Amino acid sequence: MTTLNIRNVGQITNASLTFGDLTVLVGPQATGKSIALQFLKLMVDAGQVQGELSRYGLDWSGQLPDFLDVYLGEGMRAVWRPGQSSIEWAGKIVDLPQMAARKRKAKGESLFFIPAQRVLALRDGWPRPFTDYTPGDPFAVREYSEKLRVLVEQEFGAAGDLFPQARRLKREFRDLLQKNVFSNFHLKVDKVRSQKRLVLGPGGGTENLPYMVWSAGQREFVPLLLGFYWLMPPTKVSTRAEIEWVVLEELEMGLHPRAISVVVLLVLELVARGYRVCLSTHSPQVLDALWALKHLRENRARPEDFLNLFEAPNTQPMQRLATSAMEKTIKVYYFNRETGATTDISALDPSAEGQAEAGWGGLSEFSGRANEAVARAVANSGREGRS
Amino acid sequence: MTFKEAVMQTPNLETAWQPGLQALRAEDKPHIKAENTRRLCGSADVDTALLPKEPQANRWDFAIGYQHKNRKDEFIYWVETHTGSDDQIKVVLKKLAWLKTWMRRDGQHLASFERDIIWVSSGHTLFTKGSAQVKTLAQKGLIYSGAVLRIPSERRP
Repeated sequence: MTTLNIRNVGQITNASLTFGDLTVLVGPQATGKSIALQFLKLMVDAGQVQGELSRYGLDWSGQLPDFLDVYLGEGMRAVWRPGQSSIEWAGKIVDLPQMAARKRKAKGESLFFIPAQRVLALRDGWPRPFTDYTPGDPFAVREYSEKLRVLVEQEFGAAGDLFPQARRLKREFRDLLQKNVFSNFHLKVDKVRSQKRLVLGPGGGTENLPYMVWSAGQREFVPLLLGFYWLMPPTKVSTRAEIEWVVLEELEMGLHPRAISVVVLLVLELVARGYRVCLSTHSPQVLDALWALKHLRENRARPEDFLNLFEAPNTQPMQRLATSAMEKTIKVYYFNRETGATTDISALDPSAEGQAEAGWGGLSEFSGRANEAVARAVANSGREGRS
Repeated sequence: MTFKEAVMQTPNLETAWQPGLQALRAEDKPHIKAENTRRLCGSADVDTALLPKEPQANRWDFAIGYQHKNRKDEFIYWVETHTGSDDQIKVVLKKLAWLKTWMRRDGQHLASFERDIIWVSSGHTLFTKGSAQVKTLAQKGLIYSGAVLRIPSERRP
């Protein structure tokens, strides 16, 4: 398995990550999860990153601090502390200053990055180009936005429905998304005068809702849906051949738990198709799903049990997905704010002695406290001498 | 009244008080971790002490007294170490019902102390903190602590 070790970078003092087929990072805000994922992208795609930055006229003069400001975003040069910071990728120390100093040969992309700020990719209902951002905006956001622009303009240029579409996603996914995200609305390309825009409206109808009146969850989900479209092309080949890795930050953004279930299932579809997926999440539901998956696998559960978990239809394509998903390796890491180190909590054992694992990296902490508060109130109600 | 005095004045528990965690069975001790063991006010094996009188009852396991640093009065942790699985929920709830009845009837001195009532899993558990089972137990006054009960030196007010 591939490993990434990060020492003394930003908030991270010691992150040691071994990637599975699906790898999930949890931990409080600003503990370095996003930095770790962006460094993963850099390790996999240094040439592509540098090539894209150069193509859009960004110049870091061969200096690592300037490179970090254009890659991670303005002010992020501070995360690298010369003499203290280090990165090891696949067992080899990476000389980051040298990487910044010497432009690598531009090559194809191997890691597709879906950033947490993906909602910014749409403005007035249309994806923004790379150059629409300021030089201080993170590369991951600008790059994702540009990809969506190209996808929508090249593949959905003509007016019509983007969702649902017969050749995009399995029918079962379309039904689940229709029910749990779009409430039977269709996502369409519309035109106001000459300006194209994405709108939601009834199938075949003309009463369309523009971007600004979509629900917050729909505004968050549409850029993610387009990312899934990009990764699952409507061809006989079910993946983008050049892409090995997918990073998806905070898949739960703005979504109701039912919609989160569908997105987790879509993530497992990516894994089943052979992508290596890395997530960051603040959703206990995601870990609930992984915990269930682990025990379903250990107990050799039937595909139907897996599908029941996600309230997914019991069809042959979904059974194949279930069988494949239950075979995959899953790794879960907790980023600890106090120590700056990561802990492998992949066992997700509620009876573990360590609170990081038993409390799933703090994601079930509040739930635990709520239980205790209620139990104490009940246990002590009517107690003699209670003040 | 101290925890020790309350135990000694409770019918059938007169000789049950032991210092520290000595009243616990050897297999139960690893499940209890007190941050400061010097603050332990002793323990009582309720289950064994009441066996002759109520052999058929679903008796509770034991009580642990603790003096938290920031509290004036001693505190009691009522602990049941039991397998943490779905099929044992009914059994433990029966024990909880017994404990409440017994406290009203015979354990009034002990019932006057502030308390936590805790189910510690004696083996591997599949209950997660956010699970419906754990919430159902909470509504009955029972804290499910997982494999270990950690007793902190200080308690939140």
